[in-house]
Amino acid sequence: MAGARILAVDDSPTILEMIKAILVSGGYEVITATDGAEALETARAEMPDLILLDVMLPKLDGYRVCRLLKFDQKYKGIPIIMLTAKTEEQAMATGIRTGANQYLTKPIEPERLLEAVAEELQKAEG
Amino acid sequence: MVSDGSSISKDLTPEQFQRFRDYIHQHSGIYLEESKADSLRISLITRATRYGFAVLDDYFKLLTTDETEFRELMNLVTINETSFFRFPAQFEALRKYIVPEIVEGKPETSRSFRVWSAGCSTGEEPYSVAMTLLDSGLEGLGYVSEVLGTDVSTSALERAKAAVYPSRSLLNIPHSVTTRFFEPTPEGHRVSERVRKTVDFQYHNLVKEPYPLGLMGNWDIVFCRNVTIYFRLESTRRVVENFFNSLNPGGYLFVGHSETLTSVSDKFEPVEVGGVFLYRKPRARSAPHREVMKERVTPAATSPRASATARAGSRAGRRETSSTPDPTVVENHAVDVELLVSSARRASEEGRSDDVLTLVDEILTEDESNAEAYLLAAYSHADSGDLQTALKECKRSIELDPLSAASHYVLGIIYQRQGESDRAMHEFKRTIYLDADFVLAHFNMANLQRSVGAKAEACRAYENALRSLYRVPDGEWSWFLGGFRPDLLAQTCERSLIECRKKA
Repeated sequence: MAGARILAVDDSPTILEMIKAILVSGGYEVITATDGAEALETARAEMPDLILLDVMLPKLDGYRVCRLLKFDQKYKGIPIIMLTAKTEEQAMATGIRTGANQYLTKPIEPERLLEAVAEELQKAEG
Repeated sequence: MVSDGSSISKDLTPEQFQRFRDYIHQHSGIYLEESKADSLRISLITRATRYGFAVLDDYFKLLTTDETEFRELMNLVTINETSFFRFPAQFEALRKYIVPEIVEGKPETSRSFRVWSAGCSTGEEPYSVAMTLLDSGLEGLGYVSEVLGTDVSTSALERAKAAVYPSRSLLNIPHSVTTRFFEPTPEGHRVSERVRKTVDFQYHNLVKEPYPLGLMGNWDIVFCRNVTIYFRLESTRRVVENFFNSLNPGGYLFVGHSETLTSVSDKFEPVEVGGVFLYRKPRARSAPHREVMKERVTPAATSPRASATARAGSRAGRRETSSTPDPTVVENHAVDVELLVSSARRASEEGRSDDVLTLVDEILTEDESNAEAYLLAAYSHADSGDLQTALKECKRSIELDPLSAASHYVLGIIYQRQGESDRAMHEFKRTIYLDADFVLAHFNMANLQRSVGAKAEACRAYENALRSLYRVPDGEWSWFLGGFRPDLLAQTCERSLIECRKKA
């Protein structure tokens, strides 16, 4: 689903730039947010086709943003891929129920990221 | 534009000299005579080589479009010899005659004594003035001394604020002064806190008008020694006119011992005190200027109250309040700061913003002008979305260390997030001027170019990023990666490059 619009959320400007570059090179349109509140607002206003969401975010953490969207009939259909640092793997293992569609561990490998995005977009379409 | 940096023509042709001289003159008021050609040549080559320019004409282009670079060049051009208590007789006259005379004439309500050291270079002059004022008994009479040093050289001002001087610069000072007003540190002698707290520094260009309001009044004394020799007559006249307007009636202008205001200004009264020639702004209803000029010399007033002040001064002069901190303690502090900085860096790399800010506070308590601490704080605030604070901290960092590539990179990031693409681009370019292999600056520039549809430029920037990445895989830039691996950045650049070439 080339041309899909993806909301990428990360508080690190450098990482956000990298994610953006990867997605653009994969033919996607990218919008960005740098904190949880902005992510939520942008997701609601723009209705992106997919969200890449960092866990550690200022204002609202990624888990909460994810839950708030997934528990809302209007937005729960938007696939969400959570980006986690290694230290957060344990949190994942303890089974935090966020409703996220997929987790990717940082550091983000470009190929792996594009695969995951393509996979989730296909699932959402089908 | 940037060559391999291997060689630059070491010659400055007369045409080039003229071009640089005129530009410098036009923008700073400093007029370089032919005799300064060689020293200008050395400054130009120093700066141009830094960026790898092969010809000075290319450097000229940078200079004319980049105000920060202009300041950097001026830092080199205006380096001049300066020392503590230069022309001691002037300081002697200040303490013995001038301070008492001015105090005598001050209105009862005034409780401050203000001296402006214009063109203060690395701070020796304002500190010498402050020490003299402390010895002149002003404190005892209930006056607060305020000394302001201004200069066009930001690097000189930084050194002035640091107030640490090599031991050899203290050789000509009496031992009693050294022990009372300096503290030994591992780096040299530091001016004591008692003196430093009466002195402030500020960037100011004497030929740029109008002067900020804060400078335009209420000065008791202006020191401007051997500064106007850089200016042409017309500029000197305007500068002296500004001093005249800034001084209180009865205030004094101190010029270099070989300088004269003849043909510059006829508003001041020339005064000879203790073998020193000074210029006084007349009080209201003084004799017509021409007559005063003919008289040449009028002795400074010495009233009973004035001589009492002078005596108070010499009493203060005898007070021995030496404070010599244990040098090992100072050394430990230096080590601590370095440790703190590296911990803060690690916290920043690992994205622990709160820890970064706590550590930064600790660093600044030890060393309030630590440029890297401000930079780390800036990056941390940028991370948590507080762009206003980030911008402030980042600018402070650049003020303290204008040549830091990392600071300009972070400033670029902040502008980028504020949506100020042009400014961001400009900062990324500056980053690359300062460190040609700052991979992330190339990378961000590429992304910006691509986003505005400049495919060819974007391709070139991605290529540069990759080239630098292979050349310096762990440069200073790498701690901004936030855990993103350099090889993955390379993959990202390669992908983007392929994509960009397709469309270019």
